[in-house]
Amino acid sequence: MTEFTLNGQVVRTEDDPGTPLLWVVRDTFKLKGTKFGCGAALCGACTMHVDGAAVRTCTLPLNAVAGKHVTTIEGLGTPDDPHPLQRKWVALSVPQCGYCQPGQIMSAAALLASNPRPAESEVEDAMAGNICRCGCYPRIKAAILAVADDFLAEEVVT
Amino acid sequence: MKATRRNFLIGAGVVGGGLVVGFSMRGGPGAPRLQAVEGAYAPNAFLQIGPDNVMRFYCPRDEMGQGVTTGLATLVGEELDVDPAKLLVEFAGVHEEYGNPAMGGVQATGASNATSGHFLPLRQVGADTRRAIVLAAAQQLGVPAHEIATEDGHVLVRGERHPYGAFVETARTLPLPESTPLKSESQFRYIGKELPRIDSLEKATGTAVFGIDVDIPDMHHAVVQRSPVIGGTVVSFDARRARAMPGVVGVVEVASGVAIVAKQYWQAKKAAEAVRVEWDLPPLATVSSRQIEADYRHALAEEGESAESEGDVAAALAASRTVEAEYWAPYLAHAPMEPMNAVVRIGGGEAEVWTGTQALGIARGLVARVTGLDAERVVAHNTYLGGAFGRRATMTHVVEAAQAAQATGKPVQVLWSREDDIRSGVYRPASLMRIEAAMGADGTIAAWRAKRVGGNIVPGILRQMLPGLLPGMSGGVIDWAGDRVDGLFGGWLVEPTAVEGLAGDYDLPNREIAHVTKDHGLPLTFWRSVGHSFTAFAKESMIDELAAAAGDDAVDLRLRNTASNPRMHNVIRIAGDRMREMRVPEGRALGLAAHGSFGSFVAEVAEVSVAGGAIRVHNVLCVVDCGRVINPDVVRAQMEGSVMYGLTAALHGNLEVENGAIRESNFHDYPILRMNEAPAVEVVMVESREHPSGVGEPGVPPIAPAVANAVHAATGRRLRSLPLRPETA
Repeated sequence: MTEFTLNGQVVRTEDDPGTPLLWVVRDTFKLKGTKFGCGAALCGACTMHVDGAAVRTCTLPLNAVAGKHVTTIEGLGTPDDPHPLQRKWVALSVPQCGYCQPGQIMSAAALLASNPRPAESEVEDAMAGNICRCGCYPRIKAAILAVADDFLAEEVVT
Repeated sequence: MKATRRNFLIGAGVVGGGLVVGFSMRGGPGAPRLQAVEGAYAPNAFLQIGPDNVMRFYCPRDEMGQGVTTGLATLVGEELDVDPAKLLVEFAGVHEEYGNPAMGGVQATGASNATSGHFLPLRQVGADTRRAIVLAAAQQLGVPAHEIATEDGHVLVRGERHPYGAFVETARTLPLPESTPLKSESQFRYIGKELPRIDSLEKATGTAVFGIDVDIPDMHHAVVQRSPVIGGTVVSFDARRARAMPGVVGVVEVASGVAIVAKQYWQAKKAAEAVRVEWDLPPLATVSSRQIEADYRHALAEEGESAESEGDVAAALAASRTVEAEYWAPYLAHAPMEPMNAVVRIGGGEAEVWTGTQALGIARGLVARVTGLDAERVVAHNTYLGGAFGRRATMTHVVEAAQAAQATGKPVQVLWSREDDIRSGVYRPASLMRIEAAMGADGTIAAWRAKRVGGNIVPGILRQMLPGLLPGMSGGVIDWAGDRVDGLFGGWLVEPTAVEGLAGDYDLPNREIAHVTKDHGLPLTFWRSVGHSFTAFAKESMIDELAAAAGDDAVDLRLRNTASNPRMHNVIRIAGDRMREMRVPEGRALGLAAHGSFGSFVAEVAEVSVAGGAIRVHNVLCVVDCGRVINPDVVRAQMEGSVMYGLTAALHGNLEVENGAIRESNFHDYPILRMNEAPAVEVVMVESREHPSGVGEPGVPPIAPAVANAVHAATGRRLRSLPLRPETA
């Protein structure tokens, strides 16, 4: 039995503790937003937050998150109440096929949480672990920088 | 294609979590009884208008990232007078009404032709449906039809605003109008406007459903152990250990190997490692890249088959100094981010299949073939495609899921690993090309002789698709047909995709295009931009080489030799003018290339630097003429993405064959361009009233030669082999 917090709710599972977190979340808890791309922590499609840090969950065993807080794309925002990054993704028509985007957004959210005003090169470095085969990189970068600008604007106002 | 009035049995299948995944119109005797959405007006296969004014659009083409749902919803919404963002887009099921008008009615998506093929037919669907609502409103309200206007899903009459849905009862009783006049350009509210994509929110929130996300009751998971050499067959296997492992319900032989079926994916994955398989390997097992390249080089000396011959090339080559060069392009995998997958459920004399595919009818046919059911008793559901690029027209994974479901009696999802994707796929053919060319005294290209050596894709595509297109045809007949086509292209005719783009864009009064078929047995298929993906590299590199040898300006040379190709000439002129104005920092240089494909014309300028043996592409300008633009931002996105896709091939893409096996396996040795390598891309669209042409692929071909030309400008080194590696020049 492994217990952890998934999008704010305490959950328990009998899954083999060696099962990568990705499959526990997708197949046992039926949250399908997080994607499988490579199985080797090379593409970032499976990115979730574990205690706030962006982690590749296709190689992270379930027992590594015992007692920890896991956030998935579903926990970041919903169609009715999207996260600022998700709003910007829509405003800039970032996605093409869309498959990698949950992972991209989770990496971006972790970046902005730790560095709300990243330089362009910092965005590139932080996002280099997430592959987009459709090549949405210019828009992903623009969206992250635009959200950072919005944060700054809010700070100035408030 | 003409939408006809029919009494469709239409409905939405609801599966897991209220997800609407599709519908069936035929609903054969064993198929689920699907009903039309309650009370909805369904005048044709594409539109349903509910009394609540909810409007569904059944999109006939597959969404693989190219924005086709946005584009086609815009076409139908324009004439229906409904904001395309308000249309509920459903992926169409299998039906002849959803055939691709640009592909002879086959229900498939590719060749960058969705917009051009549907531009008029889907607008007609929208116009006729709108007219039907107007006529119904006229009758119901007792007002002459000419006094009725429409706006965004509402009828406007005498200062009142009624939703279309208020008239669907009446509309159902009236004949459907036909050949309703379409809007003129000045009336467009949505076509040509900067509108956002309609699928972004789903895709940004993880709620968009891809094939891998389909989950049905009692669904089991299968992992397939595959032959290390493609085409190998199982001699025997030992699954004693695997069968005893947790969750495993079956280990069964399937066409492509041994499927391990378990309750959970990870259980199947772990158990697969415990299965030992003895393989009978095909002749491909004796082949390696070194030999393939040597065979190709040897074949260049052969005369080959003539694809095109005009004028007197020999005389023109003899009359002036000849520039001759050979260009190499390797095998490539498509590597879409979503690995191949399919769900199949069989039972009660019927079957269902869910998969994200470029050819849903083939998926249905493959399941029918495996199960022995009539295709009418198989319901096929499409989903979003997590990338495709030509890969998702081949569906070994559907066969595997059907066989595993059949053998175990469980609903099964097959999921490929990334290693499966790279090593057991279908590939962009490798090519060796030689071009000999000579300039005339007047600065025109006096002679052009080009030859390509490599495999053909059509025979393999037929073998891959016929079983699903014609589920009743025996395997023996399909093999026979494939062999005949092999023979046809291996010594008599030149397959068009093998040489497309080797000569097309320039005025070449004296030209010869020839082809030598060399097939080593690796399965080949379409890969974004197909033959153009390698021919443009040879052709556009040679144009720069010709200019350099003649002391000519490469842009001027292109302009001088495109007099009879005005749209090509125009994009070269625009890109060339911009290139001359660009001021690049020390250590960087510019290169230009242009190429026409899928009816569109694209010129690209790359700004590069070379340091430490690595090429860095900093900026790209892309000038495109794709006829009338339906959604400028979607075109922009496709050009940006095409540049990135083409750059991955230009800078990284390479598959090596070792004893018949693909050496590469995952993104560490088959790298994909990442954000820290991605250039900024500026897209310029030529304003045009021409019929819309391709957008998904034409941006790919020019980027590799543009970068190669820029590397030459930066370093003086001419790179003639893809991927471009300055250290090996």
